[in-house]
Amino acid sequence: MTPLKSFEKDYPLIDSNFQSFCVSHGIFSVEDFLLHDLDALIAFADSHSTSQTLKQGIDQLLSIIDALHPPLLNGLQLLEDAQRNKHILSTGCEGIDALLGGGLCEGQLTELVGSSSSGKTQACLLSASTVAKHESSVIYLDTGNSFSPQRIAHFVGQSSGYVFDNQADHILRKVLDRIICYSVFDIYQMFDVLHQLKINLRSEVVKSNQHVRLLIVDSISSLITPILGGSGPQGHALMVSAGFLLKKLAHEHNIAVLVTNHVVGGEDGVSKPALGESWKSVPHVRLLLSRDCGSNVCNISMLKHPSKVRYLIRKFLYGVVYVSQYHDASGWAASSAMYL
Amino acid sequence: MNGKEREEIEKWIGGEESGREMLRRVRSGEGGFRYPPPLDRVPLRAGNVVEIVGPSPSAKTHILIHAAITSLLPKHYGGLDHSVLFLDLDSRFDITRFSQLLFHRISQQHSFDHSLFRLCMARFFYLPCYDPFQFLHTLRTLHSRLEKQKQLHGLAFHLLLIDNIGAFHWMDRASASMFFSQTQNTKKKLFLQTVSEAVVHNIRKLLQVHPMLIIVTKSVIFGNSYSTPSNDVNGNMEEKCSKNVTRSHQNFQYREYMPSVWQSLVTHRILLHSSDDHVTTNHQNSSFYLLEWLLPRLSFLDKIVVRDGGVFVDS
Repeated sequence: MTPLKSFEKDYPLIDSNFQSFCVSHGIFSVEDFLLHDLDALIAFADSHSTSQTLKQGIDQLLSIIDALHPPLLNGLQLLEDAQRNKHILSTGCEGIDALLGGGLCEGQLTELVGSSSSGKTQACLLSASTVAKHESSVIYLDTGNSFSPQRIAHFVGQSSGYVFDNQADHILRKVLDRIICYSVFDIYQMFDVLHQLKINLRSEVVKSNQHVRLLIVDSISSLITPILGGSGPQGHALMVSAGFLLKKLAHEHNIAVLVTNHVVGGEDGVSKPALGESWKSVPHVRLLLSRDCGSNVCNISMLKHPSKVRYLIRKFLYGVVYVSQYHDASGWAASSAMYL
Repeated sequence: MNGKEREEIEKWIGGEESGREMLRRVRSGEGGFRYPPPLDRVPLRAGNVVEIVGPSPSAKTHILIHAAITSLLPKHYGGLDHSVLFLDLDSRFDITRFSQLLFHRISQQHSFDHSLFRLCMARFFYLPCYDPFQFLHTLRTLHSRLEKQKQLHGLAFHLLLIDNIGAFHWMDRASASMFFSQTQNTKKKLFLQTVSEAVVHNIRKLLQVHPMLIIVTKSVIFGNSYSTPSNDVNGNMEEKCSKNVTRSHQNFQYREYMPSVWQSLVTHRILLHSSDDHVTTNHQNSSFYLLEWLLPRLSFLDKIVVRDGGVFVDS
């Protein structure tokens, strides 16, 4: 909440007279002002002895708030921005890329849902190493100490294929340099990190040759589920706010956001995502990862995608394996190699 | 009196239009809009507020985009020749998807016309809102913004789309403690009510000066099992939110969570059910949903199909 007093210095029209007029109508902050009926306020200002300056003050306040908010864009401008700034990042896994139509989309929030050991963290680490290899920075929020530099080294070594050790070492060091990992153990810490990131991105503290393209939160559900209990709506509000903050960062700074959500047992024995109905409307894309019991086959299915209506299921195995795709029961299959 | 003056006076007395012309003018401006299925079951007019309720995903945004494209297209392409404003409260709108659907729609009827595509895209306006106050401010300043665009492009806005009116529900319910200090107790209790009242008040005022059709989506935020903490809250606002439980023959339930002041604004309500069990293999690349009119209550269900080309009613 922003008190009106904070504008006093920069805007002479919002003086003590204007402020006391606002206070007499119960307006202490910008939020109060927005909730108040504007026409009624102007009518009161009219009857006041200093009506002219008061009305100028109201106009000033409106234009201050206007400047804080994004301008009206038309479809052409929006499409141009999307084509110029919203790139698609490869996850490094052909199967997932094909399912997503190329990879993770900048400006969008992609969610991986899956039970324990279904490959969520592996997919995150693979995406991080792939993006970092292409001269971009990755912010990795690790909530369970599951970030593994060894695994990154493995991914980098496997795909670069350099023979000479020192060259591979050099590349690996560069890749690891570009992945900035934060250990985050509660949602407030995450808010701190994200707000700091927002400030850094705005003031371009982050080195310009290392553009942050990917933000990973593995797993966001373990930060949010502890606060969801209890009787109040605060937990849900924090969850929704976290979603908005991530989407705002993604949209304004052209970052792809990847989060993971674990699975809990439902009442009827069917497992369901830990973040449920209210979270469903937060991510742009939802992928469900699952692993068949006792086997190495991992299934991915698309739960939601803004530009895909089809429901595809892909199967892949751990290790150096093959991918096949199934479409409904008709069962056309194609295969390609993937490393996971 | 010379001839010229006489002509002018006769023209003045003669009136500007015949009754038939006037009727046509009035009908085109205020008469019902012809929207494509599934919105064609009930005549929709400027001033109506249509609410599309459904779980996520249930093609709610798709229906909005479908209606938007119909509005944007020129009359001889089967459209309405209007500008459209999309308020994105979920901040999830995908312009690439929108342009794909527009592309599909244009090339369905004619060979693809790039200038037509650009014309339609230029008539589409978009504004994201990230918090309830931004939404309030947007609604408040919308009139002057729309007027400005109207002067620039000469096209009236007749359609306002709001994607997910319930997006800030949890924030509104909890933000008492987030935005206000402990001393302002009176506001704390009624925050959800206050915000909703302000939203409805601003929309009503906007409709008075700027008659248009409003279509909003509302996602279902409570699952089928109500183990949500809200059941335990015995607050003032909880009493004001009606606890309607709608049970349809599909055994799908949805609970109303918007305050009554919002519900009084809504004139039409559509419920969407996802129907996974209806997916058949002969329709590739498509998903099925069931659509039910709750307000006014219609006795039949529409089955809608979402394909790459848009939303269709499956008969």
